[in-house]
Amino acid sequence: MAVRGSAFGPVEPTATDRWLWRAAVAGTLVAGLVLLRHERWEVVMASGPFLFKSLGISWLLTLAAIGIGLPAGILLALLRTGGPTPLKQIAVGVIEVVRATPQLMVIFWVFFAMPALTGHKVPAWTAAIISLSLIAASYLAEVMRAGILSVPRIQIESGLATGMTRTQILSSIVLPQALRNMVPALIATLIMMFKITSLIYVVGITDFFRAVILINNREFEPIALYTTLAVGYFVCCWVLSLLVRWLDPKYVLAH
Amino acid sequence: MRWTVIWDYREALWSGLQLTVEITLLSIAGALLLGVLIGCLRQVPGYFLGRAVMAYVEVIRNIPSVVKVFFLYFVVGLDALPAAVIGLSLHQSGYISDVLDAGFRSIPREQSEAAWACGHNRLQIFVFVLLPQVWAIVLPALASQLIEIVKNSAAAMLLGIKELTFQTQNIDVETFRGFEAATVVTLIYLGLALGIAGIMTMLERRIEWR
Repeated sequence: MAVRGSAFGPVEPTATDRWLWRAAVAGTLVAGLVLLRHERWEVVMASGPFLFKSLGISWLLTLAAIGIGLPAGILLALLRTGGPTPLKQIAVGVIEVVRATPQLMVIFWVFFAMPALTGHKVPAWTAAIISLSLIAASYLAEVMRAGILSVPRIQIESGLATGMTRTQILSSIVLPQALRNMVPALIATLIMMFKITSLIYVVGITDFFRAVILINNREFEPIALYTTLAVGYFVCCWVLSLLVRWLDPKYVLAH
Repeated sequence: MRWTVIWDYREALWSGLQLTVEITLLSIAGALLLGVLIGCLRQVPGYFLGRAVMAYVEVIRNIPSVVKVFFLYFVVGLDALPAAVIGLSLHQSGYISDVLDAGFRSIPREQSEAAWACGHNRLQIFVFVLLPQVWAIVLPALASQLIEIVKNSAAAMLLGIKELTFQTQNIDVETFRGFEAATVVTLIYLGLALGIAGIMTMLERRIEWR
């Protein structure tokens, strides 16, 4: 990982600098392990399969949210950039309201609204996937809009001049470029959604976060368990953020 | 649907709003203080400090805010309110430092170089050339970070702090009118977000006029 330098210009590390830094990181890790050596790690070990399964559920929810949210987000973005006025306003309303509301509140709202609208209670999984998809769609719509706007206008005009229809321009000029431009932002949204799934436990789904809470309620071993929780989330998100930086070194993760 | 339930619970919602605003304001103060400090530290030329600050930002950025709040509550052993406020401040400080860093970088290098050629030292350049300009650049991005704090403050309910989201769930538990409550509380959160956005726009105008 390259150091990005400061406002005063890039910082060129010497070989000694690099080794000092590696030693410091190793020292911190060793100090952490020494400090935590007396915790009851066997509690975490015994729950290993359960924790891995719940981490898988967190990932499943994230991927489902992105899978449903991406097409929905593209639709919202298209409506916002070039839809007829009433639909455009609805798209703007949905995107801005969801993005300005606490994610926890969106989850609760969907959880409460579904019975009120459909008349019967819905499974927690349905409410969870709908609310997470709604959040993902709103954020992806903005990502997508930036992608669409990044395509120079002259290309669209050229397409119109050569007699292409709007659908043709969209499918063969705008979307391919917009999608390619938004790959780093898409992975950044994936990181954001993975972190947001930690809130979904309020509807009673045993994701990684709830799994740790459940084990802690029975064993009361907060230090070992919550350290595992933080490390688990960190490793998952960090690997993805390295991928973002590899794809676009200047990308600023905003959520 | 029965919207009168909102009127019946007006006092609970009012006290919830007060708590949400309290948590938000305290967290905004903490996050701005820490975030701006770290954003400025990132401008100090030096390999070791740069790496150390980046390591902090990475750790902060890659852990969900709820996990931080729970970690502070269960592992560090703070009370619910300090855990929430410190957790939210720590969480947003990483992002705010990013916003500031991007702002510093967007100032043309020539300005620092010109000041350097005039014989100013780095501290003088930082204080008199970079810092006065950076505020106008970062304000819009800072506004969305502050709105993030309002949003994340809902996580405080998970520790049993009786703020807005907690009251919503409580209304649902007591009356099964969660839909109505959630809709109204969503509107309140929108109002808070709009309020912050409005204040930041006003600040932006003032800075532009100066």
